[in-house]
Amino acid sequence: MNAVEVQGLSFAYKGSEREAISGVDLAISPGEFVVLMGPSGAGKSTFCLTLNGLIPNFKKGKYSGEVRVFGVPTKKHKVSDLARDIVLVFQDFETQIFSTNVELEVAFGPENFGVDPDEIGRRIHATLKRVRLDGFEARQPATLSGGQKQRLAIASALSIQPRIICMDEPTTDLDPIGKFDVFQVADELSREKNMTMLIVEHETEEALKADRIVLMRDGRIVAEGNARAILASPALLEECSVKPLEVAEFFASLGPGASLDGGELPLTVEEGLSAWERLGLAADRRRLDSLVSEKTRQQQAGYGDPVIEVRNLVHRYENGLEALRGVDLTIRRGEFVAVLGQNGSGKTTLVKHFNGLLAPTGGEVVVNARDTRATSMFELSKTVGYVFQNPDHQIFAQTVFDEVAYGPRLFGVPEGEVKARVVDALEAVGLTGSEEEDPFSLTKGQRQRVAVASVLAAKPEVIILDEPTTGLDYKEQESMMDLIKRLNEMGHTIIIVTHSMWVTAAYAHRAVVLKEGQVVMDGPVRDVFVREKELADVFLKPPQIVRFGARLGLPVLTVDELVACVGREEGARK
Amino acid sequence: MNLYLYLDKDTPIHRMDPRAKLFVLLFSFALPLLNQHPLWVAGAFAVILAYGAAARSLENLRRIRQILFFIFIFSTLVWTFFAKGTDVLIWRVSRQSILYGIGTGLKLDAMIIAGMVFLSTTKNEEISQGLILLGLPYPMAFAFSTALRLVPTFVGAGATIAQAQRSRGLDIDSGSFIERVRKYIPLLVPIFLTAIRSSDGLAMALEGKGFGASTKRTFYLRFKWTARETVVVGLFLALVVANTYLTLTGRTLIRGLMK
Ligand SMILES: Nc1ncnc2c1ncn2[C@@H]1O[C@H](COP(=O)(O)OP(=O)(O)OP(=O)(O)O)[C@@H](O)[C@H]1O
Ligand SMILES: [Mg+2]
Repeated sequence: MNAVEVQGLSFAYKGSEREAISGVDLAISPGEFVVLMGPSGAGKSTFCLTLNGLIPNFKKGKYSGEVRVFGVPTKKHKVSDLARDIVLVFQDFETQIFSTNVELEVAFGPENFGVDPDEIGRRIHATLKRVRLDGFEARQPATLSGGQKQRLAIASALSIQPRIICMDEPTTDLDPIGKFDVFQVADELSREKNMTMLIVEHETEEALKADRIVLMRDGRIVAEGNARAILASPALLEECSVKPLEVAEFFASLGPGASLDGGELPLTVEEGLSAWERLGLAADRRRLDSLVSEKTRQQQAGYGDPVIEVRNLVHRYENGLEALRGVDLTIRRGEFVAVLGQNGSGKTTLVKHFNGLLAPTGGEVVVNARDTRATSMFELSKTVGYVFQNPDHQIFAQTVFDEVAYGPRLFGVPEGEVKARVVDALEAVGLTGSEEEDPFSLTKGQRQRVAVASVLAAKPEVIILDEPTTGLDYKEQESMMDLIKRLNEMGHTIIIVTHSMWVTAAYAHRAVVLKEGQVVMDGPVRDVFVREKELADVFLKPPQIVRFGARLGLPVLTVDELVACVGREEGARK
Repeated sequence: MNLYLYLDKDTPIHRMDPRAKLFVLLFSFALPLLNQHPLWVAGAFAVILAYGAAARSLENLRRIRQILFFIFIFSTLVWTFFAKGTDVLIWRVSRQSILYGIGTGLKLDAMIIAGMVFLSTTKNEEISQGLILLGLPYPMAFAFSTALRLVPTFVGAGATIAQAQRSRGLDIDSGSFIERVRKYIPLLVPIFLTAIRSSDGLAMALEGKGFGASTKRTFYLRFKWTARETVVVGLFLALVVANTYLTLTGRTLIRGLMK
């Protein structure tokens, strides 16, 4: 019997004409580890919700076809009964945490199924350890960092020990090693406990661990197959807005001329190295060096005097936890800084000091030569704009125009100029023409842009973005980052908090790495990313192409850089 | 900002069976209600404070002190004018009506403090567990605990949203009353939408994790009704019985009060 059997499944949400999924057929056998990928709006989350019967039992709409879980049709069964067999971890993990402390959150599922309290205790211990949350048992979930909450959501599903676990983008807020861990755990559970795993994911390197990859687009399955086979088809990935593996992208870009001697496209660093040797490739180190120094020169040309100075900053939260323990940092005008670090290392806490959302409990933060403690948030927000991770926490107006105009109007800008500013801001984010639309009818990626535009319209010198690419698919991530890069080139100082290593490598100038509330590394991204060992100690891992380059002794940051210095015939790629 | 009242402390009262805490809550509502004379009410007030001190929970008083103050002043004033007594001082104010006003103010505050101490010592999960153990039908306990669970979710979302809007330059704490009300609008829409989304998400998460699947639910938190529970509840019960006797024999009333 199949663990999951889906036949001719279509579903349209109530009040919507368009089918969110249409005509999906899929069979997953017990113990299989499947990764589901595809662009935003492909219907991945909807598909997940049909698996445990939340669709159509809870969310209504037009449903046809059938889903069976271990032979049981989900349509006719209570969701709570199905939970014995299948448990979901929702994409929106914040809304599924409801207990008063970490331990009870994990205990909740097993309690519902009448598991003996001693056994529940053992499961709590084991699952919290698995997701690296041991020691947090008595913590209130509201005081956890973003990534810690996501870990908790995963732990509370694992503790039920169902036969199938389905996780909808479970690693968006995790540090790189944390992402890796989730797939490691999934792999172990499927192998050792014969648990069936279905994970929706955007990260390609992790997906390589799966037995099978299913690609979805526009509500349909467009391809499925062995993970390697799928990841070795650049055209298919491109079509589904999935980021290709960088090593594969590099070898593919050498063009068909550089035939791989009939071999497969290399997917991992190791495979890449042997292909490199087999093909007898060589890099022009001088070319790389001049490329690098030209880039550095260009970036630094835009730097001015210090705009944010942090001296011996300490922050202690109400519960006594010291989240920052003596941070020193100077950020100059025009810089593009990425703040990195493992979950709970204090990144968000740090950047919230820059616009006065948090006040130092020790040391000082000086913005534009003024101590933040002596300056009101109203004043600070004119200099420092802060884009929150979740755009829905700030959008409230009925039209995009009003939303973007809100900041300037608050600052008393005359209406004529407000208009000009809104037009400029919307143009910068590529939303010209959407002035009269209802922001809530836009996609998540577009709402994120509205949020950026509304910060831009206030013309702050410094723009802080907390995880600007989470929840976006690869193409949306790229266009978001291109936008941020343009803003930087226009003279804005950019500070991003991110877990995305490729984003850091491709866009940021400088990386600041935090560990347990202290800065442990700070310097140009290239210099920081070659320290692979030290990064591993703080649960970070450079992007694949950087690790590949490092093995060849080439400090490259992106595929393009490597392609450029391999010195193949011009024109294959810019 | 943290609006949970629960204080994670390790006192004998925190460790008590939630049923005992519910009984104590009930009795400490009864004690002030039984009395009329402010001195007697003050006695009940003192008992509640002592219980709260034993639970090391009085630090939460700081957070609700404005409410306590406002309620005390308001009800004292209102009853001073509306109650009638024999020894009139001026106009509608009599010695008895003043006493009655003070008594009522104290009474309300005592009850609020009793509720605060209960919430400071009892987790949400313990409350629903206690109610189920006391025989409340499952669906009702379900609804009750769901409602309780939504509170922290909303509070958390509210705090984030307030931060998001403040960092756009919203200055919530200044301006005239009307201006301030207007400034709250940007908070309300996202809070409302988040509330809808999270109650939806919550219901899905509860069911998705098997809430209500089995009638044989177990509880990870374990409590035993020990001698300690019997002594504490017994003590409160004795106070209530004694107080009831004294009230029935008219000794806690304000002499000369005409309602
Ligand atoms: N409101 C709060 N009260 C108490 N402790 C908190 C609070 N917010 C965060 N913390 C704790 O402070 C530490 C740093 O948290 P912070 O949110 O700055 O981490 P982060 O680096 O942004 O993590 P993530 O990558 O998961 O977003 C963590 O241990 C976290 O649990
Ligand atoms: Mg964070």
